[in-house]
Amino acid sequence: MFIVEFSDWLANTAISQYFQVTPWVIPGMQTIHILCLALVLAGAVMVDLRVLGRGLKSESMAAVAERFLPSITPLVLVLLFTGIILIIAEPGRTLGNPAFYVKMVCLVLALIITARLRRYAATATTGDRAPVLLALLSMLLWTTIIVAGRFIAYIEPI
Amino acid sequence: MLESFAEFLQTLPVAVLVSENIFPEVEAAHVVALALFFGTLAIVDLRLVGLTSRHMRFTQIHDQVLPISWFAFVLAAITGGLMFVANASSYIHNTPLIIKFVLLALAGVNMAYFQFVTFRGVAAWDNGEPAAAAKLGGYLSLGLWVGIITCGRLAGFV
Repeated sequence: MFIVEFSDWLANTAISQYFQVTPWVIPGMQTIHILCLALVLAGAVMVDLRVLGRGLKSESMAAVAERFLPSITPLVLVLLFTGIILIIAEPGRTLGNPAFYVKMVCLVLALIITARLRRYAATATTGDRAPVLLALLSMLLWTTIIVAGRFIAYIEPI
Repeated sequence: MLESFAEFLQTLPVAVLVSENIFPEVEAAHVVALALFFGTLAIVDLRLVGLTSRHMRFTQIHDQVLPISWFAFVLAAITGGLMFVANASSYIHNTPLIIKFVLLALAGVNMAYFQFVTFRGVAAWDNGEPAAAAKLGGYLSLGLWVGIITCGRLAGFV
């Protein structure tokens, strides 16, 4: 099977071998990964709550979205970078893991929804119906991303 | 004394339930809670040190965002407590976790000093450049919580 062969090949590359024997790589990358995830989650939740009429109510929808959503892009890039290092360090544990694919599907959906919320915030006028469902889905998806990420440690790779 | 208390904690029905059945679920909930906590606290602290959201008064951010942080903190404390009792005997010898508890105590002192001393003079720096004591409190908070999350992750590798 392609994924297994690819994981085995990756695990035998010099860079993977180096990460495997360097003790700070996995905890260090995981810590940066969690800190960035925290900032992404909080930014998304601030916008979601504003859509639901809670959180930073004193600010306009557009102001809240412009304050928090632009920072998600660089943070997701750091998440991808640290995530890729973690995959290279432990290919079998991650690439063969169903939880990893759940996480990736949720990530793509969450990014699409975040982009749609940003467009709504920029163009919304008073009287427009708030995209309540998108905001709820956004919170659910970012939460699932974190839960699935943690479950990579517990679900057996296939 | 501490050893026997840890052993006693571990024999509690709730400790047995967590360690035998739901440790991954509790840990995942802990990560979601700490992410929401740290992310929203960072929004408050970054305004406190004067780096972001400068167009808003500090008290606006403080009053509207900090309740979310407190909600997440309670959730993180409950799930963290459940994880602790489940493995109390080994955790009391876990160096990163001991450092984490020391840093948590320091973060508590820093927060109490801010709320009861620095915050009393907020009217003078609510707009514009924050007072030196406010900036110091904000940077200390950010540093301590990054340290706490780092030690928490390292505790899983001992």
